[in-house]
Amino acid sequence: MAARADQPLQETRQRRRHGAPLARGFLTVLAATLALLVLCRILAPSSLTAGALAGSLPFAAVLAIVGLAQMLVVQQGGFDLSLAGGVSLAVVIATHVPAGDSAELPRAVLLALACSVAAGVLNGVLVSVLRLNAIVATIGVNALIYGGVFAVSGGVPRTTTPLLAAIAGGETLGVGNALWFALAILILVALILKKTVIGRRFEAIGANPLAARAIGLAVRRHQITAYVAAQGLYVVAGLLIAGITKEPTAFQGDPLLLPSVAVVVLGGTSLLGGRGFPVSTVIAAFFLTQLSQFALAIGVPYSAQTIIQAFALGLGIAVYSLRLPKGIKKLIKPLNTEERR
Amino acid sequence: MTLSFDYRKIMLTAAATLGMGAALTLTSGGAARAEEPSWCGPKKATLALLDGFGGNSWRLVTTASGKEEASLCPSITQYVYADGQGNTQKAISDIKSMAARGIDALVVFGDAGPAVLPALTAVYKAGKVVVPYRVDVGGKAGQNYTMFIGSSFKDDGVSWGKWIKSILPQGGNLLFLSGPAGNSQGLDELAGLKSVLDDKYKFVNPAPFDVTNWDPSLTQQVLTAEIAKHDKIDVIVSDFGPSLVGALPAFKKFNRSIPALATSDGNSLGCFWVENHKDNPDFKLFTVATGNDNVRLAVDWAVAEATGGKLPSAQIFKAPVFEDSVSGQPHPVQCRSDLPGSIYLSAKLSGDDQAKAVNK
Repeated sequence: MAARADQPLQETRQRRRHGAPLARGFLTVLAATLALLVLCRILAPSSLTAGALAGSLPFAAVLAIVGLAQMLVVQQGGFDLSLAGGVSLAVVIATHVPAGDSAELPRAVLLALACSVAAGVLNGVLVSVLRLNAIVATIGVNALIYGGVFAVSGGVPRTTTPLLAAIAGGETLGVGNALWFALAILILVALILKKTVIGRRFEAIGANPLAARAIGLAVRRHQITAYVAAQGLYVVAGLLIAGITKEPTAFQGDPLLLPSVAVVVLGGTSLLGGRGFPVSTVIAAFFLTQLSQFALAIGVPYSAQTIIQAFALGLGIAVYSLRLPKGIKKLIKPLNTEERR
Repeated sequence: MTLSFDYRKIMLTAAATLGMGAALTLTSGGAARAEEPSWCGPKKATLALLDGFGGNSWRLVTTASGKEEASLCPSITQYVYADGQGNTQKAISDIKSMAARGIDALVVFGDAGPAVLPALTAVYKAGKVVVPYRVDVGGKAGQNYTMFIGSSFKDDGVSWGKWIKSILPQGGNLLFLSGPAGNSQGLDELAGLKSVLDDKYKFVNPAPFDVTNWDPSLTQQVLTAEIAKHDKIDVIVSDFGPSLVGALPAFKKFNRSIPALATSDGNSLGCFWVENHKDNPDFKLFTVATGNDNVRLAVDWAVAEATGGKLPSAQIFKAPVFEDSVSGQPHPVQCRSDLPGSIYLSAKLSGDDQAKAVNK
């Protein structure tokens, strides 16, 4: 009994000795990314040249933003499949409403944000108030949003306004603006989640909604907030895509859906909900993008590229189920209740 | 990518059930013409144009072209259009319901390939004129349908190959980008290219072509990786020019000139060349027509069969060479900056009419 009572004290001491504890997901994804960079350096050095990174990092930034959005929903034990529609709608509103006229862009952005709030509230109400399964509800909402995509665009792409192209595709201090957006959003999400009361409540509710309700937290409101915030981030991602690709299609969100879930899982956030790992999620987005650049750069046939990506992704996720040696284990935060649950 | 594509199909189906866009009925212009084309016979008939997937600008322009072609023949009393919305089941039921409604002739873009063949065969056996075009649906003319009006992608490859030979007689490095993995269009084009170009011309992409899914964002990532990898790319060959508009500025990030480009036309691409060729000394542009007029030949056949007109002599649509920035023949590079980027100036349909079709 005495030993058990001492345990928390020991942990506190350990934490002090080693500085801030590191989450297992963070270490895993960081190690995987460093290993990938070494592999790139040896086998595909062209994928690490400045020009190649300048070309691929904006797409990593977009993936990071939708990954963070998906993470917020996953933290509440949900899934947001309306990501595809949400991003696509922002893309077509940003290109069709202004129709090449930069002065009209702010109006388009506001309209896109308004639509995103509506879609987010709808998702949230369906899932947390009407208790529908998140996958079913968000598929339905996605179909509705695609109705909007067709209503706005007729499925036809249109050229981006020069202003949006300059903002999303431009560079500041030698770094693509898309990266600055991703960084700002990362800092915002991480600070709110980890340093504010709302954020702490948000994580607690995700970890155990029943307990949270029992102590009087507004569970539904936080769950709805997750879906609304996610849709808001899809708008940012959609605007960036519209600016980065000069003539985006009306279905630009579709290829982002699966990777968005992949980066959340790679980042270590449990699909059952609970604690979120924003930094790891963003690193995972870079990892996935660099992985496809690696597969492209080593110049193997398309079939092999696909296999390499699937293999690396499987390996990345498998690492979580491996038992780490004791020495490394000490470095890592000894308990992550959500993960164990 | 297959997954996400199927996913989109599901979404499109759902959108369809939610009542997005029912079959659109349009009556033909019907204005009597002084000179009727030879393929227009005296017998009255009705005509339907059936799309497997109608949701992009190329299809909208093609649909408008088909409608205009049909309106040239006053014997066509009704012209109907239906969009399968990327849903094979809807495409099949569209074909059957058109026949049930008593339409005499059907022109079909069979996106789903052989999956629509049984429906086409049933309708053909019921005595309708059935003309599938552009996408091979299998089967045989006279047995499963009246006539198949294919498009020669191999000829596109031959046209590109000849031009590449003319600008690079000593040989060079080529980069070939096409759509989804293993698509037959890309393979046919490659066969055409290889029939003209010998070993002096090296394809630097993984065989048979770089996969882009004709998606602008994937195209951009693929092109970036290839530019980083190869110091010398002399010509880019792509079967969907407009998807390169967002990707080509990647060369600037490497401080290199955009190389020569052999592709298909698009207004946004033409305007991109006009704006950028001065800063990029190696940027030469050669395009073949994107092939919207393929539908016209198919309509001619269907109308001729249904109205008793004279059958056209051509059975395959050969996309003509459209722009050449080097020789200016048959056209110098075209740009109409006052019109949307997503129209095709190579199509017979006037630019303004295309803008109307795309902007509706």
